[in-house]
Amino acid sequence: MAPVSMDNLNKVYENGFHAVKDMSLDVADGEFMVLVGPSGCGKTTALRMVAGLEDITSGTLRIGGKEVNDETPKERDIAMVFQNYALYPHMTVRENIGFALKLRKTPKPELNAKVDEAAEILGLTDWLDRKPGQLSGGQRQRVAMGRAIVRQPSVFLMDEPLSNLDAKLRVQMRAEVHRIQRHLAVSTIYVTHDQVEAMTMGDRVTVMRSGVLQQVDTPQHLYDNPDNIFVAAFIGSPAMNLYDAAVGEGARSVKLGSQTIDLPESVRVKRPALASYAGKEVVVGLRPEHLPAEAPDSTGPKLVGEVDLVEALGSELVVHFTIDAHRVLAEGAVDKDEAAAVKSGEGVARIAPKTPVKPGDKLTFAVDIDEMKFFDTQTGLSIRS
Amino acid sequence: MRNRKRTGWHRVINGLNISAVIVVIFVGLPLYWLIASSFKTPANLGSSPPQYFPNPISTQNYHDAFVNYDFGIYFRNSLIITLVATFLVLVVGTLAGYALGRLPMRGKFTLMVTLLIISVFPAIAVVAPLYLLLRNLGWLNSYQGLILVYTAFNLPFAIWILRNYMLGIPKEMEETGRIDGAGPIRTVWTIILPMALPGVFTAGIFCFTACWTEFLFALTFNASNNYRTIPVGIAEFGTVFTVPYGTIFAASVVAVVPIGILVFVFRKFVISGLTSGAVKG
Amino acid sequence: MTAISPTAEQTPAAAPLVGRPDVNRKRMARLGWMFTAPALLIVAGVTIFPIVYSVVISLSNATVSGNGIALNGFTLSNYSLVLKNSTWHYALAFTIIYTLVTVLVELVLGTLIALVLERLTAGRGFMMALLLIPWSMITVINAELWGYIYQGTYGVADAILNAVGLGSPNILGQSTSAIIGLMIADIWKTTPFVAIIVLAGLVMLPGDIYEAAEVDGSSGWSTFWRITVPLLRPTLALAVLFRVLQAFGLFDLPYVLTNGGPGTATTSLAILGYNAIFKNLSFGPGAAVATTTALLVLLGCLLSLRTFRVQVGKEGE
Repeated sequence: MAPVSMDNLNKVYENGFHAVKDMSLDVADGEFMVLVGPSGCGKTTALRMVAGLEDITSGTLRIGGKEVNDETPKERDIAMVFQNYALYPHMTVRENIGFALKLRKTPKPELNAKVDEAAEILGLTDWLDRKPGQLSGGQRQRVAMGRAIVRQPSVFLMDEPLSNLDAKLRVQMRAEVHRIQRHLAVSTIYVTHDQVEAMTMGDRVTVMRSGVLQQVDTPQHLYDNPDNIFVAAFIGSPAMNLYDAAVGEGARSVKLGSQTIDLPESVRVKRPALASYAGKEVVVGLRPEHLPAEAPDSTGPKLVGEVDLVEALGSELVVHFTIDAHRVLAEGAVDKDEAAAVKSGEGVARIAPKTPVKPGDKLTFAVDIDEMKFFDTQTGLSIRS
Repeated sequence: MRNRKRTGWHRVINGLNISAVIVVIFVGLPLYWLIASSFKTPANLGSSPPQYFPNPISTQNYHDAFVNYDFGIYFRNSLIITLVATFLVLVVGTLAGYALGRLPMRGKFTLMVTLLIISVFPAIAVVAPLYLLLRNLGWLNSYQGLILVYTAFNLPFAIWILRNYMLGIPKEMEETGRIDGAGPIRTVWTIILPMALPGVFTAGIFCFTACWTEFLFALTFNASNNYRTIPVGIAEFGTVFTVPYGTIFAASVVAVVPIGILVFVFRKFVISGLTSGAVKG
Repeated sequence: MTAISPTAEQTPAAAPLVGRPDVNRKRMARLGWMFTAPALLIVAGVTIFPIVYSVVISLSNATVSGNGIALNGFTLSNYSLVLKNSTWHYALAFTIIYTLVTVLVELVLGTLIALVLERLTAGRGFMMALLLIPWSMITVINAELWGYIYQGTYGVADAILNAVGLGSPNILGQSTSAIIGLMIADIWKTTPFVAIIVLAGLVMLPGDIYEAAEVDGSSGWSTFWRITVPLLRPTLALAVLFRVLQAFGLFDLPYVLTNGGPGTATTSLAILGYNAIFKNLSFGPGAAVATTTALLVLLGCLLSLRTFRVQVGKEGE
């Protein structure tokens, strides 16, 4: 068990591609840290640098306080679970799990004891003498984990280990992986492109984009306080509604398209910097759950939208609507096909399940104004203090 | 997929079955003729009209082949040369196939293309200079001369097959080994090689067949009786005036049997070797 | 809709960073060359140098002495000798026509056999194994077998021809029949090989497109031509390529069956080269024959690939 410390790590490939840019991150001892981001954001490269599978172009990597830049993977005492499990197909489960120990010339009785222990934790005891070809996807994944935990390494590294499983199994295995990590209390760095996975599993989550670290925080904080537009759009499903807007005089109101929403004092108090944006363009964000249907007696800020589509989920209604403001898309936060399908001004709201609404209606939403986010149009940064 | 129900007598006699029988006859008849004739008495071999079934069945030809015609020597020579050459090809070829398939070398593609082009050259193009080379080395009429030549000429195809099999192994294997702590040689031996075994078998069968049946080089380099291989031995049975077909066929049956069995047992590998190269180009 | 492009959170490092290959990659590359070296040495030593030397001989006045060949000066006379030689013209024509005819027949027959086999449910494994036996036979043995069949006095071919009233010709004694006899022997031995390659290709074709074709109303024949054949193109190309390569180097069969005869009727390019070098000891012209044959083989390869529009080393279309 050891903390991992990345200090200004950079990875530049031979062809000049700068995959990871000045990444600094500390993973505490025993922490489950998730690296998340769209494809090509550098999360896997960062993971492989920690593993020792990729050389570090510049910066310092420390495991357990010791600088390990030039150490081989074996010397770093790390264990890795790959997306494709990479099990040795000609060896039994027992041999697969024990392979690393065998290489280290662990005496047989001790080796077998450790393998049995790992199998016990993973529920693989009955399958020790089978070969990978005879196992199901979930079982193979567990063997891959068994290989990792039997070595009692300082750090676990996992590269999208659940991506090859079907949806239901994935949900099950998420809990398993989490449980095992808690039990073993080993520092873990887990890479995924699925933000739901990131949110449910991580003690803390690191959002990355194009090689640059965007934000590191606990899942809830990331959700409630995104540092920039990308994080705001990436985290949360359905995605946050982001619109171009103009801040009114004295920052007392904000105009989306043709609609003006008044901003109470509380908003300005929490975001002193907003005052300097008076008369300027900003990007405004509202999560779907912060646009409930207006209650008949409400007096607060409102937003009116034309309903395009109503999806009944049973627990709530997901309403797709349009307003005449410009919708903002953070590049890479949503995949291209989704982006192409989004109409200008489209937004999503989650409202009470029995609200009488149908496509074509004009629906008034009560804006949860304290939850409205503001972002600078040029830098994309959140406007706070 | 294209199953249609057939009822009654159609089940037994239909176009498909008849065609299959025709194919069996097409392939099997000359084979039958070969085997049957080998059991005819030398006199009956030349009978006119020909004996369609040997009567009496005689093993005289087999006896002659080994006792009068030194076939035992030829068989031994073929066996030694073929086995050694195949072994060398597999060892050298597996290493090269691994490197060309999985290691980050510059100019890999050029090498592969060069090897392919070499393997295309007909034997006649090189037989003269090779003859001179072997003569200078004193390796005419020897085992090592032919072994060297066979090894060199079977390497390109073997490397091609082995490389294709190596490419099919998941690319994380070396990295997993690295993390577990295995050095590169250990990784190849313990992890990669067992997974590439089918490819090794395939290359082995092809090489064995090629060496066992090769004629031009064997004819040119190992002409002396003591070092002749089976193809040359059989071709030189008898003289211009007398062709001892009985002995020839007996020897042929003995020569075809081992390789026939090998190919039959390993047919899966042969077939995959012929086709895996195809689609991957 | 406006899109926001990525912005760097921090200012980039002062000095520009240069990418270098990983230390491990370099190690692995070196290891790769070590692994490849033995194969390269053996192949280069035994094939490339002799090929080059053969070309050199073909371009020199080569005289044979007790110790080997003496090369006396550059000359194109070997090539002009060969190119004017009528036996060479015949051998060239013969080899080319032989190749075309046998490859074509084998392709058609082989595909037919493969189609039959593909429909077979039981016994397919046995059939494939049976087909492999002619392929694994030594060509010399095949030649002797057919020599026995074609034998003028007691060959079974004559017995059959006589029985159907076509008399008992001396098959190997006349040019045309000798050539046909040679081709039949070759076709018998090699068609199974082609059949296996085509069968393996057929088996890999996806089944659902045939169901779609059936729904679209395509009949057996049209399905075959419009769907199966185009999809089989790479497989067929490979089979043709193998065969063309083999056929151009044709040696074993005519050497044993007809000894190039009657006369020079079945003298292929390889037989011609062999006789020139080892029987007549004319190394220069012999080398010229050998070199031109090699060039023709390469040409044949390229043409085959072109005809089937297949690219080597790239992914399929």
